[in-house]
Amino acid sequence: MFVGAVFVLSLLPVTSVIHDPDFWWHLRAGQLILAHGGLLGTDPFTYTVASHHWTMHEWLSEVLYAALQSGGGFGLIVLVLSVVTWLGLLCLLLRAALRRPNAFALGLGLLLAAVAGYPIWGPRVQMITFFLSALTLLAVERHLVRGGRAIWLLVPLFLVWSNLHSGFIIGLGFMALILIAEVAGGWLRWRDGAPTGRVRTLLFVLLACTAVSMINPNGPAILAYAFLTQGSGAQQTLILEWHSPDFHDWVVLPFAVMLITLIALVVVNRKLRARDAALVLVTAALSMQSVRHIALFVAATTPVWIDQTSTLMGRVRRRSSQDPRPRPSLQFRVFTFSVLVAALFGIYASIRLIPAMRVTPSSLMYAKEYPVCAARWLAQAPEPLKIFNQYGEGGYLADTLSARGDKIYIFGDAALMGDPLLYTYAGVTSLQPGWDTTIRSAGTDIVLFDTGTPLANVMDASTRWVKVYQDPLSVAFVPSDRLHTLSLPAAPTSYPRGDPCAQLTSTALDTAAQNQ
Amino acid sequence: MLGVDGLERERRREVVARLGWVAGAAMLLLLITVQPFADANAWWHLALGRLITSHGIPAHEPFSFLTAAHPWVGQQWLLDVFLAGLVGAGGVGVASALLGVVAACGFVLAALAVPRATRAGGAWLAFAMVLSGLVASRLLGVNAQAISVLAIGTVLYVLARWREGRAAAVWVLPPVFLVWANVDTLFIAGLLIVVATLLVTSLTCPELASRGQLAAALAASVLLTLVNPYGPGLYASVITTLADPAVAQLTTVWASPDFHTWWLRLFEAEAALLVVVWVTSGGPEPEDAIIGVAALVAALWSETYVALFAVIALPQVAGYGARAWRLHVTPRTAGIRLRGVSQRARGIVAGGLLAAVAAAVVVTGARQVTPAAAASYEASHYPMAAADFIAAHYPGQRLYTTDTWGGYVAYRFPAGRVVFLYDQGSTFGDAAAQSYTKIHLLQSGWEQVLREDAIQHAIVLDTSQEASALHELGWAVACYDSASGGVVMSAPPPGAVPSAAGPLTAPPAGSPSC
Repeated sequence: MFVGAVFVLSLLPVTSVIHDPDFWWHLRAGQLILAHGGLLGTDPFTYTVASHHWTMHEWLSEVLYAALQSGGGFGLIVLVLSVVTWLGLLCLLLRAALRRPNAFALGLGLLLAAVAGYPIWGPRVQMITFFLSALTLLAVERHLVRGGRAIWLLVPLFLVWSNLHSGFIIGLGFMALILIAEVAGGWLRWRDGAPTGRVRTLLFVLLACTAVSMINPNGPAILAYAFLTQGSGAQQTLILEWHSPDFHDWVVLPFAVMLITLIALVVVNRKLRARDAALVLVTAALSMQSVRHIALFVAATTPVWIDQTSTLMGRVRRRSSQDPRPRPSLQFRVFTFSVLVAALFGIYASIRLIPAMRVTPSSLMYAKEYPVCAARWLAQAPEPLKIFNQYGEGGYLADTLSARGDKIYIFGDAALMGDPLLYTYAGVTSLQPGWDTTIRSAGTDIVLFDTGTPLANVMDASTRWVKVYQDPLSVAFVPSDRLHTLSLPAAPTSYPRGDPCAQLTSTALDTAAQNQ
Repeated sequence: MLGVDGLERERRREVVARLGWVAGAAMLLLLITVQPFADANAWWHLALGRLITSHGIPAHEPFSFLTAAHPWVGQQWLLDVFLAGLVGAGGVGVASALLGVVAACGFVLAALAVPRATRAGGAWLAFAMVLSGLVASRLLGVNAQAISVLAIGTVLYVLARWREGRAAAVWVLPPVFLVWANVDTLFIAGLLIVVATLLVTSLTCPELASRGQLAAALAASVLLTLVNPYGPGLYASVITTLADPAVAQLTTVWASPDFHTWWLRLFEAEAALLVVVWVTSGGPEPEDAIIGVAALVAALWSETYVALFAVIALPQVAGYGARAWRLHVTPRTAGIRLRGVSQRARGIVAGGLLAAVAAAVVVTGARQVTPAAAASYEASHYPMAAADFIAAHYPGQRLYTTDTWGGYVAYRFPAGRVVFLYDQGSTFGDAAAQSYTKIHLLQSGWEQVLREDAIQHAIVLDTSQEASALHELGWAVACYDSASGGVVMSAPPPGAVPSAAGPLTAPPAGSPSC
């Protein structure tokens, strides 16, 4: 009952409104793929990297986004991705259950996993990778423990995964890591290793999965592409999600608790399978490098944590040797369980799922995070504009303005942008000498940035830039020598009652938080 | 089979070999621990030391024109005076050399803290020393951490001897803490290590008779830590510092480690290695596990504790690593032996290698600590020429500079209260920190802070965002310090309409040299 309740409760942290800034350009890309009946060779959004070849590694996810949005709006996307993440947690549960752990340890581990992954959960494509990684690990573990042929189902899975997200390389990596660990563990005579025959089958499955992964519009090059981000110095240093976890941030503390307790459990028990040791070491190292890898850590180590806790509880129980208490009847337990699960689902749906599904793109919630009002103003311009934008808002601007021909400077496909553009952009936002020339020489018509950012504050003080628009979230500047040549709409003075832009004006925005 | 004499000779050979490894590693460590004034805070500590020597410990912050929120707590006064004395006696190079030797000695003591019963070989000791030294390297230098490394090494060594039955060793602790409490706040970590050892051994070895002596030494140590200018108030100020958000704002090492940097990846590797050797050696002693995990948690919380972790991990990596090696590797490699090289020959080769390492270290280290090298380092890493220009043209006028250079500016201009801010967040408080971050991060109202505080001049890096921002306000570049990349910028005359002539370049085109 405890495990069931925790499993239902785990829906709460994995369900939220769409916070992923990349969601918008993924959606737009999906719509364009469906409209054109094929992938785009170059991006239609920017005026800076329009000549770069666009490796649309997530094309199938993008098409899915577009299909779900046209079928059921944002609410359907929220629902589907919440369920996908939840299924990932289910895979963790099933993988842990293979070792028949103590029920309390199982529930506690699942709860810790749901909370530890909180910095990463949300409706985003990475959740597909989380789910499929967890599923891969479940299939591999099940095969190593019980054998059988079900593991061959991973082959068609990877065929689909390699078209959904380049994170499929993580699944291949996990399989390779487990293989190496089993071979090394066998050589070191490590206990609880899998039978050699099953390990050999795993090798063949890995080779087959690698082969089918190349069946995608980008061909074998997709394998190398997946490593591009890891090898990109610009992405590792400039993009917040690639930074190391900040343990001063409370949302990361559950992950820290999970890591430290796991270390303590392993040291006390000193019973660890080779493959578990490898998974823990590698995913812990990856998580320390980047916050976004916490999801991988959760996927790989939660069953290990549960197993270790269960082992410790077993040792403690043996010492105390208590007689088991008599249990209620099966009918009573089933009835109580059903009522509890129904109640929890009801609470979850009413306080989390339905409110998240109801949020529309024109809501105040999105107006606080994205330049909704500024984009609406820009959409009134008689001619398309070249907009120097904030990195995290590029996706939203691409989605709302690209159809009318407006172009942006940068958006969230960092591999497409390339390191040179990322460094150049960072040089502008950190106001390194030459920032002004960089913006102008790119052919920029207008700069749109969040209020209170260093760039906005310096432009406000500069005589070479003129402010032409401001709302509590966004501010726009044009070069003073081009003010009279550009055709811009008049800045709105008021909004209809109930309009989110009117509410934004009267809502106190925490611009410091926005600038994080 | 060896007779008694033979066994004794063998034992002495092992001890000599082990000491040889440790000596070699210690000499290699000098290449890491002897550093120039890389820690920017060393400058204001030096200035403060001179002030304390002439006027006593100040009651209020002595260099800045900002109003500090809290009274000055010169907890590191002994370091300041020591530093001023060293620099006065022999120059900056002497301070670098001596503190480097102090830190290296700390690693040696930590290595010798490995329990003798583990019979850890010299190679393991040397490996652990070099690894820990590299992990701690970025935090060492001319600062209090170098002394804290020695102190922690001493604590670990004393506790190891105590566990082996040499109870009298614990009486080294009180004088160590007496000095340590007047040098660095990490003395509290030292006390916690002793407390943890005492508590855990009370549970695991209740029959241990010498616990009373350790408890008495601990009590004496705690009492002696009260012998400082602030008495028991020192503990309150340490807690206040830890909880003060201004400290985290101003001091980058208070942030969690960034594992994209090589030395913190080494820290990660050492932490992983520690866990691996714990598990594969049959399990650590409870007190080792508790202290090790606590140090790891502290280091994950704040980069400034990485050196603490490195010193604590050193004897454990060596001891448990050697044990794990004997359990798992030695049985597999027992048949492989080095043939044809006599013991005597090996000893000669080892001695020669040791001498060569020593010579290389002396030559390399000596080059770093000469007055010319120190001056060159100062000129290239700090705005020496820019400060000279300010002293000549704008004496007594308030300056803005980043907190990294703030300590150097305090050293160059200790009188007149012209300094804005430096890394002393616990004294300055939240309001001052907010003023600084407003300008440094160009937050809304940043120009107002400059006006309200009547700051007319700035020393900043030519590539900094402050330089670009001030340029847009119409500040002119008065001179360019090409050695450090700094620029002196000055505000336009009162009443002038700010107008930037064109974009700022780096280095600023046409600017005179400082």
